[in-house]
Amino acid sequence: MLTALLIAMLTGITIWWLLVQRLKVKPWLEQGVVSGSQDSLTSSAPKVGLWVFLAMVTSLFLVFIGAYIMRKDHGHGGGMHAWMPVDEPSVLWLNTALLVLASVAMQHARGRITANDIVAARRSFAAAGVLTLLFLAGQVSAWMSLSASGLYTVETPAYSFFILLTAVHGLHLVGGLVVLGRAARRMWRADTSNAVVVSRLATSVQLCTTYWHFLLLVWLGLFWLLMST
Amino acid sequence: MAYVAIADRDHHLHDPDTFVTKYIWSQDHKVIAIQYGSVAILVGLVALGLSLLMRLQIGFPETFSFITPYNYYQFVTMHGMIMVIYLLTALFLGGFGNYLIPLMCGARDMVFPYMNMLSFWVYLLSVIVLIASFFAPGGPTGAGWTLYPPQAIAEGTPGTDWGIILMLASLAIFIVAFTMGGLNYVTTVLQARCRGMTLMRMPLSVWGIFVATILGLFAFPALLVAAIMLMLDRVIGTSFFMPALLSMGSETGNDGGSPILFQHLFWFFGHPEVYIVALPAFGIVSDLLSTHARKNIFGYRMMVWSIVAIGALSFVVWAHHMYVSGMNPYFGFFFATTTLIIAVPTAIKVYNWVLTLWRGDIHFTLPMLWATGFIFTFVHGGLTGLFLGNVTVDLPLSDTYFVIGHFHMVMGVSPVMVLFGAIYHWFPKITGKMANETLGRIHFWMTFLGTYAIYLPMHYLGILGMPRRYYAYGNTEVLPESGVIANQSITIAAIIVALAQMIFLINVFYSLRKGKTADPNPWRATTLEWQTPETPPKHGNWGPKLPVVYRWAYDYSVPGASRDFLPQNEPPRDEARAPA
Repeated sequence: MLTALLIAMLTGITIWWLLVQRLKVKPWLEQGVVSGSQDSLTSSAPKVGLWVFLAMVTSLFLVFIGAYIMRKDHGHGGGMHAWMPVDEPSVLWLNTALLVLASVAMQHARGRITANDIVAARRSFAAAGVLTLLFLAGQVSAWMSLSASGLYTVETPAYSFFILLTAVHGLHLVGGLVVLGRAARRMWRADTSNAVVVSRLATSVQLCTTYWHFLLLVWLGLFWLLMST
Repeated sequence: MAYVAIADRDHHLHDPDTFVTKYIWSQDHKVIAIQYGSVAILVGLVALGLSLLMRLQIGFPETFSFITPYNYYQFVTMHGMIMVIYLLTALFLGGFGNYLIPLMCGARDMVFPYMNMLSFWVYLLSVIVLIASFFAPGGPTGAGWTLYPPQAIAEGTPGTDWGIILMLASLAIFIVAFTMGGLNYVTTVLQARCRGMTLMRMPLSVWGIFVATILGLFAFPALLVAAIMLMLDRVIGTSFFMPALLSMGSETGNDGGSPILFQHLFWFFGHPEVYIVALPAFGIVSDLLSTHARKNIFGYRMMVWSIVAIGALSFVVWAHHMYVSGMNPYFGFFFATTTLIIAVPTAIKVYNWVLTLWRGDIHFTLPMLWATGFIFTFVHGGLTGLFLGNVTVDLPLSDTYFVIGHFHMVMGVSPVMVLFGAIYHWFPKITGKMANETLGRIHFWMTFLGTYAIYLPMHYLGILGMPRRYYAYGNTEVLPESGVIANQSITIAAIIVALAQMIFLINVFYSLRKGKTADPNPWRATTLEWQTPETPPKHGNWGPKLPVVYRWAYDYSVPGASRDFLPQNEPPRDEARAPA
């Protein structure tokens, strides 16, 4: 409940803030082309599109987390079916480290491509992809070890939520990997002497990096939540 | 470095040249808009038919043996879900959003045309999956459009075999489609406005659709979460929402789930959803009133502020749908307060619409008729909302026909009036032809008077206590003779109004072929979409040069001007403006 309220408040405040500044203008008086009239952000459309998408994904994860907290705190049926916390497998720590490294590799790729060092950028970009795949494999291994322990069934809410939250995060990473794969293909075939091509590749890498950092933050939040409850 | 807007950049717009790329796999926002609109209206006709079946049963129980309790609830559910999501949301955002945003902002197209095209085809897929549930074993779900667990997936409710699965899958697919479209609308408004088009010079139609899209991007995830968790409960037996339950005499195996959690998640989506439908209607009707009354919208800044405020506040009112759910009464108090607060910007908008008409040069054209009809029906529906927003008054009225009367007025009647007004208004631009006036006026009067005949008596029925979602009322004392008569007359009115919509369809097809060729700007409107070099606009919208905007969207009847309207892209002359 509180989480939902928080989202709602933040939404309200953000929108309010963004737009209340505009209310000082008197559009019926202004005539002529208003200089600097593009009060849009000077970033490109794909960047704005990604940030809007990330806002939506944030909303998704916040709602999932809100549901998790609600379920944990107001679990019906006490006694046997009160909240039974899941004992998180220790492989999750390794997975977290892998995802951090993936973000680091992405950031490195971004730095290198801006400096026009395509070869190094390619390597880091690919490394990020591999590390992410290892992370996902680690997540699956965590699921398998939980299932093999025999302690939990689908009816155990903490267990179902654990799988659900990590799966949703993982699916977002898989989507990112698809995009990364396509960008990597372009990077390997690119005519690196052409500045326009390189700048387009740089944009792709920048967008991927933003997305990876975002999903890392989401994972850190989820990890902390799951470990502490 | 001089900023070059996206719309101005030199990138080559690939002109489609085959039939398939022009009209089927089209990336042109205008074609996509028509595709969205056609599918939405088609599936809306299906839902209209379902509503008639419902009314036949309520008006004349024990008369139609093919309407059973089992399929009655399926009609109720599918009617609701199709109308709210697959018709209204898709038509306002996918249809009008796609058509109007690039044109009103002076852009050549949406910023992500390929994704825009995909969004339509994914929407169509969601509709197909939904309609497939009619043909699945057990038929579509009969859980009510609100899909509350545990009943939604417990035996005894229609459609628990396949119907609910297909419904949830269809909703998830729709949300993907909406995301792709929504990213386009928001990013295009933020990034692709032409030179001179500041946010505060945009027409209110764009503001309404823009804020509605942002609402959707924040609200639909809640529905997705609820749908995923309900799907898991149904398919693999988790207990997110399912409490310990005896079903058909044996335990279901679930335990510990919370049905209230579903309600919170659903309505956290559900309330913003109704504003996703309402806000574009608010925006569009402002433009209709302004244009056809030859007067600037009264209080443009407050109209913008109200749209934003309504959008933001819509996230903190959701539990007014849950007053009778057994939640903490103090929550009820909180949500009743926020619900009454949200009435304030809404009321401001109503005053401003009326004040726009005050001393305006009103032309009762076809679009103006519908816009005026909107004001009447929306005030009506909004006032009954105030009753329902108060906890104490809601307790006896909840789940009665009073609620049905209320939400149909605010969602089914008034936004639909705007839709018709908008279609008649932009028909000349989209098709190059004028719609037939006579047919249009018959359509208007039958619909306007007919919907009052349908929904006014429902308020009386609700106060009598007639519950909703009942297949029949039997020989109980619940419904007095007056209630029975009211139900019969509502059914007859509903049939007549449904037939009246056929007049609209006939008008559209007739006018497409035989309508009078339209002037490029027959309503003498100021907004950019009327200033395109060709009508209907060709691919790329503006010809070789993008427009430049010099003024806001409401320069109607400017004192001292030579004409009663000044298009947004008309350069200023040295005429001094008369002081305000």
